[in-house]
Amino acid sequence: MIPLLRHGKPDGQPRRLTLEILRHNPADPASVPHLQAYEIEEAEGMTLFIALNEIRAQQDPSLMFDFVCRAGICGSCAMLVNGRPGLACRTLTRDLGERITLAPLPVFELIGDLSVNTGKWMRGTSERLQTWIHNDTETDLDAFETRMEPATAEAIYELDRCIECGCCIAGCGTVQMRERFVGAVGLNKIARFRLDPRDTRSDEDFYELIGDDDGVFGCMSLVGCHDVCPKQLPLQTQIAFLRRKMALQGMR
Amino acid sequence: MSSLIKTNASGELGLQAMPHPQTHGTAQTKPRKSRWPARLDVLQSATGLILAVFLMAHMFFVSTILISQQAFYTVARFFEGAYFFARPYPALVSCVVAVVIALFIGHAGLAMRKFPAGFRQFNAFCRHKNRFHHSDTSLWWIQAWTGFALFFMATIHLYDMLTQPALIGPFESADRVWSGNMWPLYLALLFAVELHGGIGLYRLAIKWGWLEGSDPQRSRRRLAIVRYSFSAFFVTLGLVTLLTYIDLGRAHADHAGERYIPPQSISSVDRR
Amino acid sequence: METIHTDVLVIGGGLAGLRAALAARKRGNSVLILSLVPPKRSHSAAAQGGMQASLGNTAKGAGDNEDVHFEDTVRGSDWGNDQEVARLFVHTAPKAVRELASWGVPWNRVQAGEREAIIDNRRVTLSEPEAAHGLITARDFGGTKKWRTCYVSDGTGHAMLYAISDQTIAEGIPVHERMEAVSLIHDGLRCYGAIVRNLIDGKLVAYIARATCIATGGFGRIYQSTTNAVINEGIGAAIALETGVVPLGNMEAVQFHPTAIFPAGILVTEGCRGDGGLLRDVDGHRFMPDYEPEKKELASRDVVSRRMEAHIRSGKGARNRFGEHLWLDITQLGALHIDHKLREVKEICHYFLGIDPARQWIPVRPAQHYSMGGIRTNAHGAAYGLSGLFACGEAACWDLHGFNRLGGNSVAETVVSGMIVGDAIADFCSSSGGDMHLSTALLRECADKVRAEFSAITDNHGPENPAALLGAMQAIMTDKVGIVRHGEQLAEAVRELTELEARSRQIGLRNHRPGANPELTLAWRLQKMLKLAICVAHGARQRTESRGAHFRTDFPRRNDAEWLKRTLAYWTDPAQLVPSLHYEALDVRHMELPPGWRGYGARDAIEHPETAHRMAQIETIRAQLATADRHAVQDALMPFRHLLPRHLCGDNARPGEST
Repeated sequence: MIPLLRHGKPDGQPRRLTLEILRHNPADPASVPHLQAYEIEEAEGMTLFIALNEIRAQQDPSLMFDFVCRAGICGSCAMLVNGRPGLACRTLTRDLGERITLAPLPVFELIGDLSVNTGKWMRGTSERLQTWIHNDTETDLDAFETRMEPATAEAIYELDRCIECGCCIAGCGTVQMRERFVGAVGLNKIARFRLDPRDTRSDEDFYELIGDDDGVFGCMSLVGCHDVCPKQLPLQTQIAFLRRKMALQGMR
Repeated sequence: MSSLIKTNASGELGLQAMPHPQTHGTAQTKPRKSRWPARLDVLQSATGLILAVFLMAHMFFVSTILISQQAFYTVARFFEGAYFFARPYPALVSCVVAVVIALFIGHAGLAMRKFPAGFRQFNAFCRHKNRFHHSDTSLWWIQAWTGFALFFMATIHLYDMLTQPALIGPFESADRVWSGNMWPLYLALLFAVELHGGIGLYRLAIKWGWLEGSDPQRSRRRLAIVRYSFSAFFVTLGLVTLLTYIDLGRAHADHAGERYIPPQSISSVDRR
Repeated sequence: METIHTDVLVIGGGLAGLRAALAARKRGNSVLILSLVPPKRSHSAAAQGGMQASLGNTAKGAGDNEDVHFEDTVRGSDWGNDQEVARLFVHTAPKAVRELASWGVPWNRVQAGEREAIIDNRRVTLSEPEAAHGLITARDFGGTKKWRTCYVSDGTGHAMLYAISDQTIAEGIPVHERMEAVSLIHDGLRCYGAIVRNLIDGKLVAYIARATCIATGGFGRIYQSTTNAVINEGIGAAIALETGVVPLGNMEAVQFHPTAIFPAGILVTEGCRGDGGLLRDVDGHRFMPDYEPEKKELASRDVVSRRMEAHIRSGKGARNRFGEHLWLDITQLGALHIDHKLREVKEICHYFLGIDPARQWIPVRPAQHYSMGGIRTNAHGAAYGLSGLFACGEAACWDLHGFNRLGGNSVAETVVSGMIVGDAIADFCSSSGGDMHLSTALLRECADKVRAEFSAITDNHGPENPAALLGAMQAIMTDKVGIVRHGEQLAEAVRELTELEARSRQIGLRNHRPGANPELTLAWRLQKMLKLAICVAHGARQRTESRGAHFRTDFPRRNDAEWLKRTLAYWTDPAQLVPSLHYEALDVRHMELPPGWRGYGARDAIEHPETAHRMAQIETIRAQLATADRHAVQDALMPFRHLLPRHLCGDNARPGEST
């Protein structure tokens, strides 16, 4: 893909990597899920983005996967790397062994090979949890904006950094068993809007959205979400916080 | 394709139905969401916490046998109210056991909601756990299995205590362990209950955000260490205690069934 | 073939498309958005540093207003832009920021009191006024007189995209994801929607719409070294070009961003330099002040990129195993600042370079970044040549940016143009122009044409490999149509690209996977991208001057006398090898700011004969209105409010200004 990167290691031969990729094409009735191995020569600074594109360009043009920004900010390329959810674009091969297993994220609808339909799932979550600012007052666009404490704005951004990559869902033990569970991505969004003074919803309103076993009370606190989040969002503490608030609401 | 076109000159016809724009503000007409999920969630945690505290206390009481037979005897009589009512009432122990049974059943019932329902869920979780290699996820699996095992093992023990509250004493208990062939059950029970309780307490802290401190990541690492230490300490204490009872039970096997009489009582009998 | 009807079809789910869709929806139209990827994954999310709007809240932004923003933008464009559009833009940008604030964007805010900052490599103490506490703050960016770039840490585009996307969900606007518009349905006069390919199952669907808006972003992927996302292939612009009647404007105007990490090409924001970062060479020497004593690292991007390339050519580049580069040094900003205001930069450095930017320098080299050119539209966003077709955002040549875009003006353009164009689309739909008579024969012809395009690829068993051809095109563009251009190389590039175009018709697919075959998709797109690449190279070859980002060593001076005009590229006949170029003059007689020196860069432009006259005219008007307020003066020089929807006409509130 990027010929500049094809360089040997100064101290010897470059490694031969074997990528075992879980292949399946749901559009083809004859297709059965199977692992297919590809061998490539490792290059300096090689990421899985570079490796997969090289495989597709040189070995197998039918291979399906998703990349958009290739800079770790858009969340398109989440997949299971050796069983662990992560962003392929910023995973360096030098941090992995010579055998690398790649599989599509579970839970989400499979499009083909490593490509899954996270977009549809996330839109569903947004609609279900109404993840937008609820405020009925008209904004006068000519007037000064409503003031906000600088620290509040930074705290909101901290939670707003979610890229909806789906890693937390793939790392969630609860959602594997119960597909209706909102998962960390949904709960984090509720925490984000709850924190935002521009959103007029109260805890009572939020309870309507997440006050059940498909919501915050369904979380079994396995913290897989927290541990795999590529943006290091404070999911563990945010879910615990929401749990306390919603439990209080439930006592009313 | 052409037959599908139904647009008119104004172009207003659309085959695609427009979804209703969502109104800002939450729905008012819907009935209020049930508060039960919140209550049940709190109850599950509360029963678990009480049971865990009970467990710790229980282990300390039982292990007084390591001090002396007399010490354990005193503790047992204490719970029968001997020091309040001039004579022991074993029924008091039955009452405590009844409360524990209620908590236990309640906790089991609530926790069961989180178990895999059916083979599909069981399978899905197993696959997830096996490929993920994530400690908290794997620990939950241990918790679920130990919880499942406790259903049977703890129930037997609790039933024993409920129906024979008077038979708690150095010889009585030792006979039950050895001559009554209960030691294999107690051994298994010990591991199940301490693992379950240790992991459970750790998870409670994570779940409710207790002891987060200024750096939750570091706090969690510390909690994990506490969890290991907890399980290790109580398993060790339990093993030593159980061994002591086994030892005592073997020595007392010939007199199995004879009750323990505290030394003062014996001396007073002798004097008479 | 399935057919779907809607009032408004928006092609592209980035910031511009989403905002235009919202505007049209709020006026009661049914709107449908097509997107290659889930909208929140659009390249808009990659905008890091911020969005320009002259709020003037922060101390270093005091005295800022639309006039200053306007002048910066026009100078930045090297007088290549449309000044009326620039006025629409600078006037609406503050409204856009405030609207986004109400939709939840967590803009960083002014903290009253003293704070430390790094300006020109010196630690200074800034004092923010109490009155501004809690208002939206701004950082410094290149080519601006004031601190005007509103920001959310360095995830501004992400925060904006999520807020706007959530608004479209709130409005119930459907987004059909993983859908690619492959051809416009048109009869040479009016556009009726698009033929669309489903990227999951490979099926074609006809979307019939009274108004169609293309907001597909830029075409950076025709270059090898680019900061653009892999989806930025310019297909939206290409299908407009292929109508034969819609021109692409100023395709040769391609921006190179000074600080892409080397060699991966991933962007690190201009905010790094805005916040006090420095550029250093192999010796650790800060070289920009040698070239640009006034603006230094914060000259406009075209100037900084050119100076960097020149400095590397003079032998001062640092070298690693991949080649030559320079250093971006932000260590003096401190770990705390980087953790809060430049955290994406920190992550990128960590994951892709394995370095900590608070302690180590970042290897950078300019890379393709932005397409100023695109589908030529009028100030309302209506495309030239086809009624019912609109375009906005980077895909369009609305012509806010001319030959160089200022940092922070593109994310601002996406939402501002979305607001204005979306409203114009609603106007169009409620006018008689929005009525539509579509013949089924026309629809069949359009669909047949698309089917023929795809079967020409699948049925061909030629020797060519699309991935190899793509690589060859990207290499030609980066080598020969890059930052520094020359007539001979450009001619070579055009020749080689036309050869590649011919070879792209001889592709033999190596697999026939059912559903959406990625190889087929690539082969089909490659043909479109080659046409765009030829438009860029050919336009650059014909433009015998240097202006903004278009720099030619054989014609190093800006030539207003001959080239104060916009290139319009038409591809009238599918068989033609290069586009027909037409030129649209920029009228000096109506400019509010006639051509002059930019305040940085070279000072050797060849003057337009009308410039002096217009200057004198402006002097007279200013003298006559000496006591009038600045809005009245501006209105006398170049009225623009008649081009705005009424609800956007009001003056903007600003500290120290009465409204």
